[in-house]
Amino acid sequence: MAVEGSPLVTRRATRSYAASSSGVESTKPTESYKPTLNDLGFGKQPFSSEDLFSRFPGRRTQILEFLRFLGPLNSPLFPILVYGAPSTGKTSVTLQVFRHLNRPFVYSSCITCYSPRILFESILNQLLFHRKDSGHSYSSVKRCERPSDFVNYLREALEGVISNLKGNSGKSNSKTSGRPDGTMVYLVFDNLECVRDWDKSSTILPFLFNLYDILKMPEVGLIFISNTSPDTYYLNVGYVEPVPLYFPNYTEDDFRHIFMVNQANRKLYASFLDVVLRPFCRVTRRVDELAAALSSLFEKYCEPLSDKQVTPNEEMKRKLFSQIRPHIASALNETFQVQSQPETNKETKKTNSSRMSGILENFDKIDFHMSTSAKYLLISAFLASRNPATLDASLFDSTGVSESRKRKRKASEKSMDQKEMAEQELLMKGPGTFPLERLLAIFQCITSLAEDSLDEEESHEPTTEGGSRGLMSDVLLQLSSLCNANFIIKGGSSPLEGSTRYRTAVSEDLALKVARSLKFPLSKYLYRR
Amino acid sequence: MGREKEKEKPSEKALNLLRSRFSDPNFIFKPLSDSPDSNYSKLKFIISTSVTEACNNSILLLGARGSGKVAVLELVLSDLLQQYPEVISVIRLNGLLHSDDNCAIKEIARQLCMEHQLLFSKVASFDDNSQFMIAMLRECGLAHKTIIFVLDEFDFFAQGKQRLLYSLLDAMQSVNSQAVVIGVSCRLDVDQLLEKRVRSRFSHRKLLFLSPSKEDTERFMEHILSLPVDSSIPHNYAAEFNGRLKKIFSDERFKELINTYLSFNFTIGHLVRFLFQAVSYMDLDVGFLSLDNFKTALSSNQRQPKLECIRDCSILELYMLVCMKRLEVKEQNSYNFYSVMTEYKSIHDSSQTSDNYAANVCLRAFEHLLQRQLISFIDNRLQNQSVEFRPVKLLISSAELHQGMKSYHQCPAILLKLMDR
Repeated sequence: MAVEGSPLVTRRATRSYAASSSGVESTKPTESYKPTLNDLGFGKQPFSSEDLFSRFPGRRTQILEFLRFLGPLNSPLFPILVYGAPSTGKTSVTLQVFRHLNRPFVYSSCITCYSPRILFESILNQLLFHRKDSGHSYSSVKRCERPSDFVNYLREALEGVISNLKGNSGKSNSKTSGRPDGTMVYLVFDNLECVRDWDKSSTILPFLFNLYDILKMPEVGLIFISNTSPDTYYLNVGYVEPVPLYFPNYTEDDFRHIFMVNQANRKLYASFLDVVLRPFCRVTRRVDELAAALSSLFEKYCEPLSDKQVTPNEEMKRKLFSQIRPHIASALNETFQVQSQPETNKETKKTNSSRMSGILENFDKIDFHMSTSAKYLLISAFLASRNPATLDASLFDSTGVSESRKRKRKASEKSMDQKEMAEQELLMKGPGTFPLERLLAIFQCITSLAEDSLDEEESHEPTTEGGSRGLMSDVLLQLSSLCNANFIIKGGSSPLEGSTRYRTAVSEDLALKVARSLKFPLSKYLYRR
Repeated sequence: MGREKEKEKPSEKALNLLRSRFSDPNFIFKPLSDSPDSNYSKLKFIISTSVTEACNNSILLLGARGSGKVAVLELVLSDLLQQYPEVISVIRLNGLLHSDDNCAIKEIARQLCMEHQLLFSKVASFDDNSQFMIAMLRECGLAHKTIIFVLDEFDFFAQGKQRLLYSLLDAMQSVNSQAVVIGVSCRLDVDQLLEKRVRSRFSHRKLLFLSPSKEDTERFMEHILSLPVDSSIPHNYAAEFNGRLKKIFSDERFKELINTYLSFNFTIGHLVRFLFQAVSYMDLDVGFLSLDNFKTALSSNQRQPKLECIRDCSILELYMLVCMKRLEVKEQNSYNFYSVMTEYKSIHDSSQTSDNYAANVCLRAFEHLLQRQLISFIDNRLQNQSVEFRPVKLLISSAELHQGMKSYHQCPAILLKLMDR
């Protein structure tokens, strides 16, 4: 019986593929595939324990401990909590251990199963060998929202699976048929820390921790995987704690072993690691972030070399080191970054960042395209967020330049103490919110000013009517697209005014850059305490 | 290849046997129930008299988590089911699952239907189900059958309007019903949570489950860990295993170790978990338990997760923590990423260090700390405010931070100095 071709297995394989980085043969999902009992196993050829250790450098003691807790075939298990920092190999070790042991297990992650209902149904689907497809309009096998229903269904399903497994274990040689070994079923709950943010976390968490006692089935093993330590789960309900299994972060030597895996030119890479690993470990100790930073840096390291198979000698190492040193310094101050089109020039470079503020390169130019009116809108949003609303009139009255002197005097009158307090307060409060009307008013003012300066005429008459005609056409559209891009955040409506309030998440650096690209004197309009 | 051979290994068999014992509460609590003044005997007496005398009754079983309340109850129930097979039906509810009245009454109806081979309707309303329950109570009473309601996590049923408890206990007030309600809870004050109308209908019989005495603990450990000499396990092996076990038990160091463990985890459930860990550390090649197994189990139980977290941090993350600590010392009681950043910059201005990184890298470190729960947001309501501006608090004490940094491999000396100043 071939087990290739199950989509379930492919998904698991992809998850472990990233971690193990060894070649896993690609599987083709077939349309009319019916999951069977075999899919509860890992589905690939099991491998020896030595293979397992070599796949995970630096995780030997943890794997051994894990294997000990799981025990020999068919031995019951107390719930285990596997915990440790992100990217320390918790999930992949767990999955690969099950591959090594070839035992049936059900894996569900609380990230993808983001609500109790989806979590319950995904477990039941796997246990009842149900696959969502178009035949039954992608419905789950059972509709189950409450823990009480879930326990009833789960008990039913587990009994079915276990009796099935017991029937099999007597029959044939398990190795050749690809069937999972043993009569234990393991339920793996990954990313348990996400459950704390769920609406019903106060009932779901104790339920999950007490599931072993509720089920009272010795054939079921529960394994929880969490980013955070057990003490972050203390609730006022209480539970007999699961057996802890700690995955510590990798040491520098472990990192070396990890990054040396699958390197073509080991000597060269070793000399590269000698140079870069220590400074990077000071900044972050997560494998995924280090791997992203190091892979692009290694390319730069190799640039001067014509032959990449060369074994570096001392002199060459020194030369390469002096080459790479400036790059290290800049790379240390960058977070994760991907070049979208590596061949084209610098203007099209894009940062792939989760947040807009703060993550910027050292270029003077902004690294994304934006229409002029959107830029003005951004600047006005920035001003509206940073400046107190009471100062708007004095700032934007006529040209607004004359007021600056007065403001300075005002600031100097304050004592240093008060100033510090105010600064702290400002830091704590963050950017202020503003209504749409204020944003539009400032927008009109600064665009009219800009047009004045374009005409190179110092007119004291505010020409808002005429100046904004061209730009006003789709300001609201621009605003909503800025909101979508997370430059401007739409807040809740204020209870007094009843209108929606906005806020910008744009950092000052970015705002200054945008202003510079428009040749707009932003600093003149920025109120400083 | 070697799996077939391994199967014959006596040590593996022994391990399997021990582990299946741990997950079998009946086996664990059997020896503790033979004495006449044990909770087992008391509970059995109470329930069996109410079955034989056909009266209503209610009891609370109270005790810490893992003290074996449910296990003892299950022992009693299984005995009684054997003794009076036709007369008893048991309805089991759990507060974690059925704290909602609607859901609970539905579950009662479902289990009653299962028990009496009736058709259960999923769409029945709360009213239908409670009418059905009352009718069943009456019918069973007329047929002289006892229904035993087991309410695990009883304190959850005492939340809200307590409609279930009221309707259940109220139905039991009538003459011709015959039911026993057994509440199981780890809250000793659970009867204070009941409403007056419920409390007055509840008999205040309580059974307390205390932690076992020292002698009991020893007896218990011997009972659970020693191998039977007359089973499929080779006789020689079992005898030697038991002999070595005796030697460990008589060791002073072992007694001290168990006392340390029991001083903070005192229930049978915790002890069983501890023995589970010790037994899983057993070396299968040697095949016998050793004192070291127990030591390892104890040390894996005495973890300090926060210190582990600090040891997992990078140096930059430590800098962030120290900055927050310094802000707290300065009595700045709320701070966010930017105020931490100003402190971080001022550290670098005053003492030139090599670890001066850009704000975005620091922000990433800051987020790692949030993820590891070393710091957390003060207010969870401000969801739309970006991370940098939300005020945070430290979740570790300065002593913990200090201790963590001292045990940190290659912690920069300047950080320790900055902590003190």
